[in-house]
Amino acid sequence: MWKVTVKGLLAHKLRLVLTALAIVLGVTFVSGTLVLTDTLHNTFTTLFGHIYQNIDFEIRGKAAFADNGTGGAVRKPIPQSILANVRAVPGVAYAEGTAGGYAQFVSSTSKAISTGGAPTIGLSFDPNPQLSALQLAAGTAPKTPNQVVMDEGTARKYHFEVGQHVRILLAGPPQTFTIVGIVRFGTADNLAGATLAAFDLPTAQHLFGLTGRYNAIDVLARPGTAKAGLEHAIAKILPPGVEVVTGQTVANEQSSAINQALSFFSTALLVFAFISLFVGGFTIFNTFSIIVGQRTRELALLRVVGASRRQVFRSVLVEASIVGLVASLVGLGLGVLAAMGLEALLKGFGITLPSGPLVFETRTVVAAIAVGVGVTVVSAISPARRAVQIPPVAALGDHRGDQRESMRRRIYAGSIVALLGIAVLALGLTKPAIQLVGLGAVAVFIGAGMLAPVVARPMASVLGRPLAGILGISGKLGRENSMRSPRRTAQTSSALMVGLALVSTIAVFGASVSKSATSSVDNAVNADYIITNSGAGAAGFSGSVAAAAAHVPGVTAVSTVYNGTFEFRHSLKALTAVSPDHLSETVILRMDSGSGAPALAAGELLVDTTTANTDHLSVGSVVPVKFAETGSSTMRIGGIFKANALRGSFVAGDSFFLSNFNNPLPVAVLLRTDSGASKAGTAAVGGRLSAYANLKIQTRAEFENTQQMQVNQLLGLIYALLALAILIALIGIVNTLMLSVFERTHEIGLLRAIGMRRRQVRAMIRSEAVILSLFGAIVGVLIGTALGVAFASSLKQQGITDLVVPFASLVTFLAIAALLGLGAASWPARRAAKLDVLAAIAAE
Amino acid sequence: MVVTNQTSSEAQAAPAPPAARAVDLVKTYGMGDAVVHALDGINVEFERGRFTAVMGPSGSGKSTLMHCMAGLDTPTSGHTFIGDEEIGLLDDAGLTQMRRDRIGFVFQSFNLVPTLTAGENITLPADLAGAKIDREWFEFLVGQLAIGDRLSHRPSEMSGGQQQRVACARALIRRPDLIFADEPTGNLDSNSSTEMLTFLRRSVTEFGQSIVMVTHDARGAAFADRVVFLADGQVVGEVYSPSAETVLDQMKRLSG
Ligand SMILES: Nc1ncnc2c1ncn2[C@@H]1O[C@H](COP(=O)(O)OP(=O)(O)OP(=O)(O)O)[C@@H](O)[C@H]1O
Ligand SMILES: [Mg+2]
Repeated sequence: MWKVTVKGLLAHKLRLVLTALAIVLGVTFVSGTLVLTDTLHNTFTTLFGHIYQNIDFEIRGKAAFADNGTGGAVRKPIPQSILANVRAVPGVAYAEGTAGGYAQFVSSTSKAISTGGAPTIGLSFDPNPQLSALQLAAGTAPKTPNQVVMDEGTARKYHFEVGQHVRILLAGPPQTFTIVGIVRFGTADNLAGATLAAFDLPTAQHLFGLTGRYNAIDVLARPGTAKAGLEHAIAKILPPGVEVVTGQTVANEQSSAINQALSFFSTALLVFAFISLFVGGFTIFNTFSIIVGQRTRELALLRVVGASRRQVFRSVLVEASIVGLVASLVGLGLGVLAAMGLEALLKGFGITLPSGPLVFETRTVVAAIAVGVGVTVVSAISPARRAVQIPPVAALGDHRGDQRESMRRRIYAGSIVALLGIAVLALGLTKPAIQLVGLGAVAVFIGAGMLAPVVARPMASVLGRPLAGILGISGKLGRENSMRSPRRTAQTSSALMVGLALVSTIAVFGASVSKSATSSVDNAVNADYIITNSGAGAAGFSGSVAAAAAHVPGVTAVSTVYNGTFEFRHSLKALTAVSPDHLSETVILRMDSGSGAPALAAGELLVDTTTANTDHLSVGSVVPVKFAETGSSTMRIGGIFKANALRGSFVAGDSFFLSNFNNPLPVAVLLRTDSGASKAGTAAVGGRLSAYANLKIQTRAEFENTQQMQVNQLLGLIYALLALAILIALIGIVNTLMLSVFERTHEIGLLRAIGMRRRQVRAMIRSEAVILSLFGAIVGVLIGTALGVAFASSLKQQGITDLVVPFASLVTFLAIAALLGLGAASWPARRAAKLDVLAAIAAE
Repeated sequence: MVVTNQTSSEAQAAPAPPAARAVDLVKTYGMGDAVVHALDGINVEFERGRFTAVMGPSGSGKSTLMHCMAGLDTPTSGHTFIGDEEIGLLDDAGLTQMRRDRIGFVFQSFNLVPTLTAGENITLPADLAGAKIDREWFEFLVGQLAIGDRLSHRPSEMSGGQQQRVACARALIRRPDLIFADEPTGNLDSNSSTEMLTFLRRSVTEFGQSIVMVTHDARGAAFADRVVFLADGQVVGEVYSPSAETVLDQMKRLSG
């Protein structure tokens, strides 16, 4: 039997390749993701290990909040006075404080140097080469308040040299410094794309609002000192709220924080990889169904000469395993290449990653093969079971199973699976539990795939009618072919159905998010101008911007917006702060109960209706809160406002915020003018704030556009990732058409013999392809729209307030699907047209 | 013919126990007005170590009889036996076992797995059963059927006659109790057809093989020890030690 299977495979190499391709692409995606994230993981771990390798201990404030999984715990600075005591501990060879904060370089062309998401770090420079993570590549250490050293990466990219002046944007007003040195991180010229400005310690303390305080103290032990004893001795002299940890601990914390971010990223990519594999599974299922159908006689013959059911079953599954294995191995190889490609793609999207050697774990190999073989074999189970049902008599003639009977069973089974899927999906959306949503969606797709054959014949008939009208006999035959086997038509198009369903879901969801973003701006912002940092993911900008903007002629109200995290009823939340003065001129609060500005001025907290409802709060409730800087206290709820995504769930007054956060950076400044928004107004504000190179000044309309653009950019990325699934679906269509051209060799030969032109043969195959893809696309778009509407409405509380069904986009998808189907048909069509008439007729 | 005489004398001396038999076998297709009684209560025995031919007009139920008796198809009612074993009582695994060990088949066409070579097709039943191949027997069959130079060829690279000989070798390789051959010479020219029939005859005479063969050809039927005539799903006559003339006579009588 083994021999039969292998020989069968080798006899149909093309079929093998086309079938495997679907899995190859999926496995490439999986292994590429794993290789990429392993590589990044390794790079970061090495990097942090390197940076902290010399530091024996670090003394720092205890984490203010329980670690909530976001990494980078919030820590309160420690008093400078500790340093002298630490230095006095026997066994301490060297100890120095560190201070860090926001510092962003301005390029020679007056552009703020931003790093596409990576932080812009300001730091104190420790001249002790033993202790410092930074090594001078050129120049000297900074010694005076107007000296700075720059990281080598930035220096090279923006052409800075020792001795030049550079402007730096800070929490306070921007300042100009002299570059006295260029530094590198161990062997890397920059830290994961971040820019770095290092100052001498007192300057750093001053710039970062840490006068008299440090972020941490780094300690070097005297050689030969017992580390554990020294750690103990240091811990003894520390005041409450301050802890000592080893350098290794810090390194581990840092890399695990990065790795958490990475694992989010890899999970996101893997989701798309699995979508591709899922679609690939449909393609495999379809191909194997057709193959089993075509091999009915052969399989029956095997049964006649003594093959058991089990042997037939196994032979189909073995064929699937071989296809899966070959595909997985090829996919694995391509995955390594793709890892490099993905890295480049991410760079294209502005996410800079450090470089390191590619890491190829055994786990990647195991996962790739398990997933590739697994998906192929699972997809082939149902065709294999059909193969087993073939009775031996089928060897003797043209045996066709009774299709009617199975149709009814199909309707029952399909409906049950689909309804179950909808139920699980609904549960997942209300809970909310994303795994259930995924599981439900998978079941819905499988159920829809099972039900599709029921509607395939009538739909193919309707879709084919115009083609028959336009193309005449070729269109008519194409239509007949697609109606001939509704099950095959449905199965072939089901992969495309899944692909388009996902695309449509995203389209509906994205359009709703985009619209909601606009309306949340409309409902939250009353200002004419919104000033934000121009860099993506930047921390904020100087606190002096608001004061400068207030001097612009015509400005009637200025309000500064801050964001921070705090513990609200013992869980970590985001807090937004605005100034209560002129509040209504810049911010719309839409109070549900209580008061807005007066409550903020009184140091009270405003919460949104969602929080009030879930936590059963009302005006006057007193809730426990905790701030990293100032510790635990309570706040009175002064008002409840209508939920809005932009506003956030918690709002406090700015003076309250400033007294509880150390040196926070504004995230936005809102301006109201007496003449409304205009181009001239933007220019006037821009002129006044020209010193702050990192600012983006937008009217409200522009701000809304930016928000929409961000959504669209994300959508673009998702579409790109889903494109692979569509590609796999198309390969499935090519494969099916190819198989049916082979299957109909005799018939096509006959048509040619009685006078059909090559062109007509091509038109016939193409019509069939267009019907197939349109069928899949229409069903897919319908399901996808329903899913998208469900997702969007389930997230109403989370800020998706508007529901938009983008009809134009959906119709475009249908048109594109038809065109893609046409493209998929071109090779099989040419193949069919090229058939030698005589040989085709002779074929059995 | 020498061969015929020899067997007929043996048949009279010691009648062999049946290799297969059918009891009140009925097979109907369709329902209501369209009902077809392909087999209409057939009782027949096929002796062990004998060559039986089955004849009858087209649509008389010959193929259906073979399929039901071989367990390829399930009868509507009645019983069929291979040796002592009742086919209807076997489950799929039992039937598979039966086909592997006790039954061989030769059809009119499409006998071979297209992706396997002739040699692989011959050994396929043994491979499927996981049994060792009797090399000597294999070589002997291949020699007798003159397909030694075709063993590495695919079916598509062989003539119809060669394909049928390969199928024949495959049917014999496991030395089954009984071989069913449904018009094995239907597609062959008279030379090839004579070669094939001679071989079947010899395998009965020399190795004691039991064979049931459907044929339309009176000359072919003359190779058998006995001819069973079917019409409208019923046994309507039989001839022992047939010659082409006696068979033709009988056929004329039945249609007349
Ligand atoms: N699958 C089927 N469905 C319906 N009727 C069938 C089926 N198979 C056979 N029949 C009918 O049963 C009868 C017997 O058919 P069978 O194939 O046994 O005839 P046969 O004697 O082998 O004929 P031939 O000499 O042409 O091969 C015929 O009338 C045929 O139409
Ligand atoms: Mg027949």
